[in-house]
Amino acid sequence: MTGGPLIVQSDKTLLLEVDHEGAEAARRDIAPFAELERAPEHIHTYRVTPLGLWNARAAGHDAEQVIDALLRHSRYAVPQGLLVDIAETMARYGRLTIEKDPAHGLVLRTTDRPVLEEVLRHRRIEPLLGERVDPDTILVHPSERGHLKQQLLKIGWPAEDLAGYVNGEAHPITLREDGWVMRPYQRQAVEGFWHGGSGVVVLPCGAGKTIVGAGAMAAAGATTLILVTNTVAARQWKDELLRRTSLTEKEIGEYSGTRKEIRPVTIATYQVLSVRRRGVYPHLELLDARDWGLVVYDEVHLLPAPIFRMTADLQARRRLGLTATLVREDGREGDVFSLIGPKRFDAPWKDIEAQGWIAPADCVEVRVTLGQAERMAYAVAEADERYRLASCTPAKERVVQDLVARHTGEPTLVIGQYLDQLDTLAERLDAPLITGETTVAERQRLFEAFRSGEVGLLVVSKVANFSIDLPEASVAIQVSGTFGSRQEEAQRLGRVLRPKGDGRTAHFYTIVSRDTIDADYAAHRQRFLAEQGYAYRIVDADDLSQDPDGRR
Amino acid sequence: MGGRPPRAVPGGGRAAYPMVGACDDDLMQRRRGTTPRAPHPAARSLADDLRHRTDEQLTTLLLARPDLARPTPADVVALAARATTRTSVQRALERLDRGQLQTVEALVVAAEPNRAGTAAVEDVAALLGGDPTEALDRLWSVGLVWWTSSGPHPVRAVTEVLGPHPGGLGLPAGEVSSEYAAHTPPLPDDLPALLAEAPVAARAILDTLTWGPPIGAVPPSGPAHQGASWLVTHGLCAPSGIGHITLVREVGLALRGGRLHREPALQAPALTDAQVDPAVADRVAGAGARDLLGLLDQLGDLWTALPPRVLRSGALGVRDLAGLARSLDVETAQAGWLAEVALAAGLIADDGELTPAFSPTPEFDVWRSRSAGARWATVAQAWWESPRAAYLVGTAPNGGATVGALGPEVRWPAVRGVRADVLGELAGLPAGTAPSAESVIERLLWRRPLGDRRALTDAAEAVLREAEWLGARALGTLTSLGRALVDRVPTAELAAAADATLPASVDHVLLQADLTAIAPGPLDGALGRFMRLVSDVESRGGATVLRLSGESVRRALDTGWTADEVLDTLRDSSRTPVPQPLDYLVRDVARRHGQTRVGAATAYIRSDDEAVLAALLADRSLARAVLRRIAPTVLVSQADPATLVEVLRAGGYSPARESFDGTVVVERPATRRARPPVARPAPEPTLSPVDAALVRSVVATLRNAPERPVAGAAPPVTLSGSPQETSALLRQAVSDSLAVWIGYADSNGRTARHLVRPVRIDGGRVYAVSGESDSEQLFMLHRITGATTG
Repeated sequence: MTGGPLIVQSDKTLLLEVDHEGAEAARRDIAPFAELERAPEHIHTYRVTPLGLWNARAAGHDAEQVIDALLRHSRYAVPQGLLVDIAETMARYGRLTIEKDPAHGLVLRTTDRPVLEEVLRHRRIEPLLGERVDPDTILVHPSERGHLKQQLLKIGWPAEDLAGYVNGEAHPITLREDGWVMRPYQRQAVEGFWHGGSGVVVLPCGAGKTIVGAGAMAAAGATTLILVTNTVAARQWKDELLRRTSLTEKEIGEYSGTRKEIRPVTIATYQVLSVRRRGVYPHLELLDARDWGLVVYDEVHLLPAPIFRMTADLQARRRLGLTATLVREDGREGDVFSLIGPKRFDAPWKDIEAQGWIAPADCVEVRVTLGQAERMAYAVAEADERYRLASCTPAKERVVQDLVARHTGEPTLVIGQYLDQLDTLAERLDAPLITGETTVAERQRLFEAFRSGEVGLLVVSKVANFSIDLPEASVAIQVSGTFGSRQEEAQRLGRVLRPKGDGRTAHFYTIVSRDTIDADYAAHRQRFLAEQGYAYRIVDADDLSQDPDGRR
Repeated sequence: MGGRPPRAVPGGGRAAYPMVGACDDDLMQRRRGTTPRAPHPAARSLADDLRHRTDEQLTTLLLARPDLARPTPADVVALAARATTRTSVQRALERLDRGQLQTVEALVVAAEPNRAGTAAVEDVAALLGGDPTEALDRLWSVGLVWWTSSGPHPVRAVTEVLGPHPGGLGLPAGEVSSEYAAHTPPLPDDLPALLAEAPVAARAILDTLTWGPPIGAVPPSGPAHQGASWLVTHGLCAPSGIGHITLVREVGLALRGGRLHREPALQAPALTDAQVDPAVADRVAGAGARDLLGLLDQLGDLWTALPPRVLRSGALGVRDLAGLARSLDVETAQAGWLAEVALAAGLIADDGELTPAFSPTPEFDVWRSRSAGARWATVAQAWWESPRAAYLVGTAPNGGATVGALGPEVRWPAVRGVRADVLGELAGLPAGTAPSAESVIERLLWRRPLGDRRALTDAAEAVLREAEWLGARALGTLTSLGRALVDRVPTAELAAAADATLPASVDHVLLQADLTAIAPGPLDGALGRFMRLVSDVESRGGATVLRLSGESVRRALDTGWTADEVLDTLRDSSRTPVPQPLDYLVRDVARRHGQTRVGAATAYIRSDDEAVLAALLADRSLARAVLRRIAPTVLVSQADPATLVEVLRAGGYSPARESFDGTVVVERPATRRARPPVARPAPEPTLSPVDAALVRSVVATLRNAPERPVAGAAPPVTLSGSPQETSALLRQAVSDSLAVWIGYADSNGRTARHLVRPVRIDGGRVYAVSGESDSEQLFMLHRITGATTG
């Protein structure tokens, strides 16, 4: 019990000393129930949450294992209260199960009658339930399966869903592994998902989530509905599926603002599903258009609220969630758990990087100083104008130029928020600009050119944030961002973290105006990077020329 | 059916719990495991008995009954008189365990038929169904029983305090009522035959009355009425007042099979005996103790930043308490306890300002600078001695108002006794024994049979819980720290023990690129202070996670650190290199630090005409205003504005005064008023405990007291004594039909001596037969200055 690598804190965080000899064993033992919150260089922080504990229960771990792991690896005595709390929390999962009864259909069953009585008395839950079959069993209307799970989780009695799934309309899909094979962790992710029934696979950007999706589709061998964030992502999914599976152009449909195709494999955007006209969602019927055997949710952490509501009605179908992080900025992690499913696979970002699937990254924050006139302008500006002013300082343009020059020959992205600034930059750098106004065709042409190496430098706006696939970008320069969102940072980092053919280091530059709100936001994002384990440096723009180039 | 039982001992409930002093001796007894055995020399009275006790036995008596030792009794007679007052006997009874109490009851019942007031040990044993020797020894040693040549004799007041129904028995046949005089109770042997013919209703009544209370109300008609009549007719019960019957004592005893108690409890209930590794328990306790120190630290920081207001009731607001619990991430109950402990240790206090608030005291800063062990020892001893029952916070005892933390209602001095009892119980076990909380509480209820069961249970549960928070108890067993606390070792020793048990503090931190510093163990001393200054705590526990931010670094710079000093200290105390972003952060903050200057001046002079200001600066007549130019158009001075205006006017200038917002003000003489006086709370009464040292001196006094003259000799010239002693002595004289000398003040204030034989005492009047005459005279009790047996 003494001298272990783990320190249990009273706020239910676990500190893991990375350099300790027992660290790997400890990490393996705590990973099933604790979420990795921060992974800087020496001490990693895990958090034990009820959701995490229930995830562990769903994966077949019991409280004894969890407590044993804590006691075995802990350096100091573990607070008794925490252990009791863990045991109690874990014991709450599975007291209620949702099952398919041969005689009565969908039922909620309990192993602990008082619990059933307690939830029955709940104002929000009572209307979701039907007749009482016997003292331990109560009917559930199939359409309320999702809502029920949501509500039960909310009051702390998560139900285990054992009711199974409809097989859906069969549609053979196979992976075409010609010249590539699924990576071991992708295979594990697919297996983890398939055995669990429904759930979420957590993989960092660039780790090949699309392939996990394709693998799951092959396992299901059924018609599939894929929900993605936007049209570009939809096209990329389509390309990837055509490349990796036996599916042909005719079998894959796109259901978006512009096209409304419903085919055995249909890729729809969140946007089109969330469209609301006169209080109704006209495109919801898509969900019933076919007898889907599998529903794939790309970027679960961005799933909009209306999709949650629809998902509640889809509980009889297998659901796969793909995401880089379970952390949602709106805090709806619980809905992901109850409506899509528990976490089925998770690999720490750093581990995958260490396996060589993601390029190591060098993160540098470059600080520029505003000119005297700009400082005055900034000082007197309205609060809502300040960020734009600080972000768009011309001082940044020179730095961008320097950096681009330094990385000539490496595929480079310049990413920004403000169109004026991007326009100027594109002009100055003589590089193509992609914004929201660029047509899809043009966008795809430029991406293709970038991919092939024909174009070495792209200036892109926010659109680059989500689900575009630029395999060969190895330098990203961020000139302005959206108020320090952690998600955005993950996305942008993901842009440059794709595996590089030659194992080169990826570079991630953020250009920040000193002493302004821009620096404050940058600090936010940087903290996230450091927490993800990326060492970063802060360099003054003036010192940039003396910087040892960052090639470590 | 069933009248209300007369309470055997009035004044149960919370207040009836023995005060702390009593328990030390109990504790010692328990720890030693034996009761001092003494030969019981036949004595004529309690005083006689006491006179023959050894010093050690007197010490035992005084420690067990501290109320006898203060004020120091003049001699053994006074001691005996004080020991037989009702109040003192009452207190002594409250300190008996269930076994001893049952023995006292049995003794009183057994002694009842005997005119001499003694009982045969065999009778007592029969009533108890067990060997009373040990209990009798203890009763003797606390002076509730003395021995005559024929057996143990309970002190008269015991019989009075226990009331007419000891053990729930009715009055004996001889005393029950005049109507009963015609009957004799049936012999026990005849009883079964008699009961066989009893009507059902009569049987039911008997069943109810057998184990007490022995008095029942009789309905005016119906079978119960007939049953009651049958019982009275056959001499089993006697009428007792209008519409009530009482079960005759002899019958009751026979129905009980000769035993006095339904559940004899001479022996203490067993404690469950789960075992844990004491070393593991100590480690858990060490972590708990560290946690506690961390939480108190945090509490101090929180309340330094934002001291919560003191409500008019003197308590902390419910919302503030909830806020504290949230900030500390503990349950409200624990938050309330923490606040109470901090108050008890003098770490926080009502600051007494106009709008009073609870804030850390200077003592808090001193406390903070001590070693972890010393900090723990201070807090632990404060808890151990505190007359405040923190667990009452948030409850509404007796349906009254909710008790607020830190308020006056939390005070319940008896909780000290509960602490001593509960932890003392655990201390009596071998190390590592972890009895269940239920069994400990069961044992406590046995030990304090007269306490309010619920209040005791609540208090004991709270004590067990709090001991765990403190680190005095862990995994159900008393830790070595807890043991030291119970043994009342001196603070320095306790601190040393705690220093050895608490996880050792670390002398380094790990710095990370996400601007956190992690201390992989507790931080103390200089490094702790530095890290607290330069960073903010993010999470506590085995380790401490600290976050460095621009704000926290600036705080360090504000107190005079330079960027290089901060970085050097960080480098020296870190096992890992200082990450580049941290280095950059510190330098960046230092770069901006002090760009804006703030200073104090009591007045300024401003003018758009720089030349005028230059002239002022140069003017020697204004030298005493000590002007300084801080900007081309602004001068500042340390003189107050009024003076400055005068000085300028005297120098021939014509300044105008302006207010803070720049408008010109017209001066008026200020009127001064004093602040209303702030009411200060009355100081707490202080009382030094009755301890071994005090008792030694008392015993010495007793030994050195001049012998009182024996019977027949001339009475002392003046008679004086405390009213309690006097009244006890007179009552004793009444019951023993003894003559006493009394000092009596007449209406002129002259004191005269009388030899009287008190007959009865009633409502402050003493009826006595005086001297030679046979007629009863009336003496007012309050005029009797003292009494002594002749």
